[in-house]
Amino acid sequence: MKLKRPITILLQIALLFLIYEEILASVITGKVTDSQSQPLPGVTLLIQGTTIGTITNPEGHFEIKNVASGRQVLIISSLGYERTMKEIFVPAGETIKLDIVMRDATSTLDEIVIEGQSIKKELETRGFAVHVIETKKASLQSVQTNDLINRTAGVRVRQNGGIGSSVDYNLNGMSGNSVRIFIDGLPASTYGSSFSLNSIPPALIERIEIYKGVIPAHLADDALGGAINVILKKSMSNNLSASVSYGSFNTFQTNFNGLIRESSSGFTLRASAFYNYSDNDYEVWGKFVRNILPNGRYDYVRAKRFNDAYKSVGGKLSVGFTSVKWADQLFISYTGSDDYNEIQHGTYMSIPYFGRFTTSQSHALGLDYSKEDLFTKGLEVTFNGTLSSRGQVVNDTVRWNYNWFGERSLGLDGKPILRPQGAQQGAPTLNHIDRNIATFRTGLNYRINSQHKLIYSFTYFDIDRRQQDEMLSTVERAFIGTRDLQKDISSLGYEFNLFRTRLKGNLFGKYYQQRIDRMDPILVEANGESFRSEDRVSSTKNTAGYGAAFSYTVSEKLLLLISAEKAVRMPSENEIFGSPGDNIVENISINPEISNNLNLGFQVGSFDFVDHKFSLSSTGFLRDTKDKIIQQINPRINDAVQTNPYENLGKTKSIGFEAQLNYSHKDKLRAMINLSRFNSVFNTRYDSNGNIYDNYNQQLPNEPYFNINSTLEYAFADVFMKEAALNLTYYFGFVDRFYTTWLEIEDFRTPRQFVQDIGVNYAFPNKKLVISGDVRNIFDQQVYDNFAVQKPGRAFYLKINYTINNF
Amino acid sequence: MKKQLLNILHSCLFLSMLTFYSCNEGESPAPDEGLDAERWVTVAGALMGDSPGDGNGGTQIYAVSYEDAINPETVIDVFENGTPVKSNRTARLQVSEDGNTMFNIAYAGENGGEYARFAVNGGGNYVQEDVTVNISQYAGTAPRWGKLYNDDKTGIAVNIANIAANNADNQDEFEYYRGTATVLALDLQETLIANYRQYELPLTAEEEAAGHCIFRLDAPVLNQAGDKVIIGTWMRKYDPLTGERESEWDRLGTKSIVVNYPSLENPTVISSTQAFGDCSGYRSNVNYLAEDGSIYQATQRDPNGSHILRITSGNEYDNTYKLSLDETLGLEDVYIEAWKYVNNGIGYALIRHGESDQSYVARLDLTNKTASLVNEIPDDADLSFHQYQGFLVSGNDLLIAVAPIGKDGNIYVLHSQTGEVTIGATLKNKAGNHYIGVF
Repeated sequence: MKLKRPITILLQIALLFLIYEEILASVITGKVTDSQSQPLPGVTLLIQGTTIGTITNPEGHFEIKNVASGRQVLIISSLGYERTMKEIFVPAGETIKLDIVMRDATSTLDEIVIEGQSIKKELETRGFAVHVIETKKASLQSVQTNDLINRTAGVRVRQNGGIGSSVDYNLNGMSGNSVRIFIDGLPASTYGSSFSLNSIPPALIERIEIYKGVIPAHLADDALGGAINVILKKSMSNNLSASVSYGSFNTFQTNFNGLIRESSSGFTLRASAFYNYSDNDYEVWGKFVRNILPNGRYDYVRAKRFNDAYKSVGGKLSVGFTSVKWADQLFISYTGSDDYNEIQHGTYMSIPYFGRFTTSQSHALGLDYSKEDLFTKGLEVTFNGTLSSRGQVVNDTVRWNYNWFGERSLGLDGKPILRPQGAQQGAPTLNHIDRNIATFRTGLNYRINSQHKLIYSFTYFDIDRRQQDEMLSTVERAFIGTRDLQKDISSLGYEFNLFRTRLKGNLFGKYYQQRIDRMDPILVEANGESFRSEDRVSSTKNTAGYGAAFSYTVSEKLLLLISAEKAVRMPSENEIFGSPGDNIVENISINPEISNNLNLGFQVGSFDFVDHKFSLSSTGFLRDTKDKIIQQINPRINDAVQTNPYENLGKTKSIGFEAQLNYSHKDKLRAMINLSRFNSVFNTRYDSNGNIYDNYNQQLPNEPYFNINSTLEYAFADVFMKEAALNLTYYFGFVDRFYTTWLEIEDFRTPRQFVQDIGVNYAFPNKKLVISGDVRNIFDQQVYDNFAVQKPGRAFYLKINYTINNF
Repeated sequence: MKKQLLNILHSCLFLSMLTFYSCNEGESPAPDEGLDAERWVTVAGALMGDSPGDGNGGTQIYAVSYEDAINPETVIDVFENGTPVKSNRTARLQVSEDGNTMFNIAYAGENGGEYARFAVNGGGNYVQEDVTVNISQYAGTAPRWGKLYNDDKTGIAVNIANIAANNADNQDEFEYYRGTATVLALDLQETLIANYRQYELPLTAEEEAAGHCIFRLDAPVLNQAGDKVIIGTWMRKYDPLTGERESEWDRLGTKSIVVNYPSLENPTVISSTQAFGDCSGYRSNVNYLAEDGSIYQATQRDPNGSHILRITSGNEYDNTYKLSLDETLGLEDVYIEAWKYVNNGIGYALIRHGESDQSYVARLDLTNKTASLVNEIPDDADLSFHQYQGFLVSGNDLLIAVAPIGKDGNIYVLHSQTGEVTIGATLKNKAGNHYIGVF
């Protein structure tokens, strides 16, 4: 299917709509009280930058009509009380309810409680295929950030073992390099593995936005298949929270998060930290877990993993000013992190490793600035800059084979056997890889009026990579090359709301530029002497992409969404320059991978039947990838001289849908079920002789293509004590079986998987202390994200959370 | 068992006849002592992974009787009717002499290095035996191995690990790049590892100082006396001044390793002065024992094109002997992708030449050091034998599977003594796939 035409048509329709402009009809209602819950009459409420506003009635109630949808700032003031400003999201054509508590002028800070899930809803109704995960509830349980992502429709997180092990994200059938991770809008590679989704606990995360296939202009990277954007905690009021959790496999996790703001000067200090440790010594068994006897025969065993410990520690300290005249936010921050990760096995767990581990650390210095109405009304400026230095060491020097009991494997002569490659995974290595990374992002948003907004964003990053392997000789080390990557992405977007905000649109174009410099030392001879010289090559590539997202409110209960993008992935260093070590020749003229992505969805609901509430949403999607970068077979592979370069020859297509049903009863029982199913197929049809490939339209191997997630929550009030709450949660996950190779034989097929977790938490009456317990994988099932890599069995966790607000 | 005994008898008879014939040149060739009409012949095909001809989609096998294999009326569709071999990438298959058992060592993947036996029951019916043995601890998950021609008793797997400079983790003066070699004997009947040895294989000090080292071992063959195994090598050279691998260099004379059998001890390096290529083969063996007690070896990556070399029954290169394919075929840069010795001084090589990737078949006369292209093999640009691994000898006949990538082909029967070519069963193909052997 060709996507170009639909996109062009959409653009034309959008232009047509531009001519029309109508008055908006969003409404904000609510009640203003003082800190003793007494209603406050006569409070002035004003939408910033407009003359739209009102005054509360004697019961403290208010109603503001004709509010433009989107991000708005509400100014609340009254004599004797602190004047406060609050940023809110106003959904198009809807009524939102705000309950506002005002502080005495003497008190330090204001607080506003906003009903509902306005940020989540605002993002999810703009037209993109986006899912927003709010971490607030989940963070009370012993749940990893990756677990939360994995429970989302259309997302499959594939982890190579327990906590801390390597992860691959699959969004609607696209994975690997096609999915980019962001932290607060900046590429996660700025921080490296020690400050990543593996280590950052949900408690430090405000929300996670998962964009599938179509990515808005402000998230700039060459994300072909989607983006995961983690927004760290952004609270603006004084608060302090901490939690500690302990459980199976000697897993200990703790974190801390706090903010202090001095209201008169706006001085703000924000700090957060985490520490994770796990032995990950869970038991594994089955056909992949065997000790090899001296004569080569198998001895199938049940064994505990013995080289899989994980430790990570990290934190972020930000100092700056908030809500002052010259800045909404100005922060200087330091983010530091460190991790240690033992590696139990390679791609498959059939061969256990001993003594292979990686360590990594990063130091990042950041500057963040944002201000609305800078210079002129409606102009919002944001700037984020980070300089980071990250290092990684891969340590693999143990020369012997080990069995699943952690003992040296013995040969026929009773002596230990050397590993076939010299060390556990390959040749012995003590490889230090250091990167210096500079990342800058500037955003300029100009709100022309309440219906039209222009967005410009520019992101630049520069990665310099150096490596040194201590297991190489001095001479060899002197001849290791360096790599510098520079990438910048400019994007221009246009957002509009039309027909009483029934139609929301978002058009954007992106321009990608990439430059890679490669330096390889060489030996040159002159005057009979040879000396070291440097061979420098560079490659500059640029390309453009564009897309659009629209949502249309058909009726109060039905919203339609459509989004499409011509998405791009720039070729990597290896794909351009080849690899002399593997005899892969360079292909300087290689083009970026292009994927035409389309999402078509709807949201219906919520429907209320007495105390029952339902809502349903679904998205169908298409990912049509062309110019996929692959390496063609070289019949001369036997030649030591050269093998084929990477070329733009592959074609794949992923087509499928996902759906989610939510149900609640009296706000006590909440149930959610989602499922996603897709066909990700080989899409090259003919060989050079015009014959149809057997694999044409065949499911790509090693892709889980059908899964279901379901959660059930029940809240009991006033348990044991008045005002105390008890919450029960239950999770069910299903992943259908899939083949791991092109050969569709049973031995290379994963089992069908069912996972069930339960959790309970108890919130004490003061709401400061919450204690939770979790049982994961309650029936001790063998669970696999990747073929032949078993994930943890049954595990128990206990967690204590403590939060103080508004001190 | 009876059949096996018969086979041995046959070969003994055959050998004695050969010695007789070799003294009577010009006599008619040896009578055809071919295989039984009922012997199972396994045909193997490789599926494509990501791109045509890569064989990375796995391997399928299918068995027909010998009679059917050479019958042009027969149609074999390995890809439609065959059974997959449990191996992530192209399997490394071997067959028992009676054709009733297939041996495989899985190449890469979760079960890489796992040796298994399959009973051949005809068609796509292969039954794997319960017992498996895994040699990956010794030889890696992608091992190179070969079956010795000693009544299916022994397989030899070989590996070189951890090639590093002597001063990799210290400040010593540079002396050599060297790896650790493993030579392992697999008892194919009992399904267990019978013996293994690990050692370094030094070259001369001068060669090592220049950065030469043995990068890979493959293609083991048992000598006539049955007391030595000869193993082919793939050489590599580092630049001692930079530590970088060189892609072109002045190659040393072709080298092989000789170890005692069955002890696998006492490795020695022997060198040819006649050719400069490697002799490790690729997916199939390149070393064959002939009736004259010599081992004939094909070289690859030879600067002057592939050669056939001779290793005498004394386990040394015969430096008075060479067969240059470039010279005798009058072609440039001939490259032997695989070859098979048949009998009476005749073998067949699957070759390509020049810049083209197209494969051809050449008949080699080792005695007279001549070669000629077999013109009856289709001249097709998509014909590629680069992953070819299975040849079947039946008396004077050699059976090979010839099917260009993505095109139908045939089993060809090549008569070693007359040079006659007949066409056997049709091989049905699918886009991107190719046939890699008859066993």
